[in-house]
Amino acid sequence: METDHINQLPIFAGLAQETRLDLARRSYIRALPAGHTLLLEGMPAESAYVLISGEARAFRMNREGRVQILARFKPGDPINIISLLNSDKRNRATIEALSPVTVLVIRSADFDALIARYPDFSNILLHHLADRLAKITDLAAGLSLFAVRARLARFLIELADLSPSSSGWTQDEIAAHIGTVRDVVGRLLRDFEAGGLIQRQRGQIILLDREKLIQAARE
Amino acid sequence: MSERTLPSINLSLCTRCNLCVSQCPELALIMANDGPTFVDLITCSYCGVCEELCPTGAIRAPSSVNWSVS
Repeated sequence: METDHINQLPIFAGLAQETRLDLARRSYIRALPAGHTLLLEGMPAESAYVLISGEARAFRMNREGRVQILARFKPGDPINIISLLNSDKRNRATIEALSPVTVLVIRSADFDALIARYPDFSNILLHHLADRLAKITDLAAGLSLFAVRARLARFLIELADLSPSSSGWTQDEIAAHIGTVRDVVGRLLRDFEAGGLIQRQRGQIILLDREKLIQAARE
Repeated sequence: MSERTLPSINLSLCTRCNLCVSQCPELALIMANDGPTFVDLITCSYCGVCEELCPTGAIRAPSSVNWSVS
């Protein structure tokens, strides 16, 4: 049994060979185009995924079409773990591919069997859940405790501190991440530019002053 | 991103409300028969006002976010 696709995922680096072999037996790879909806919020949770290549996002949408991004996934990230572990086994969010993606798919029954048999597999998921819980806690705190201006400053700092992303960010996408709407993002970006915190060039938002941005993120 | 990149306009979402044309600070857009069109590659400064104002989200002007190197 080939385990190459398992071995290339850092999240599984700590797995014993026996676990890897069974995981390889119980999983398969799918390639999906950009824009493909992997999962729909509220539908039965049928599979867990691990992103092998590409980018994807998790979001919820209200009846007016307003979107809140809950997570953005990069290669190596597990997807839909919480939904499979939850008692109602429903997808907690919609997952959309932002680029062509390749995913490792683990069906629900196989996922349950792996958890039951391999403590090293469960341990990896436990660390992942702790990480997700920390991020969701930060998101909830940001949305409830900080003004939109502070959330935007924080988000720009986080983006710039990450390794360069292949995709650019529209005002709509930024708004969906920080819990606001596009025109507010546009106004605040102009405000930041007038204050010397950022500079906007064609297709680039350049952060000029880390101290001022950190200050804005705390207000 | 190329120096010559323009915001993209999804004409299937566009309602021809003319807001982008009337509010563009560079007068870089005109309303053509099939919808708003950039007059040329130079005039648009990629300021994002059209994207911000479009009521249907038909205009996209994506930007990368980076620290200044200086």
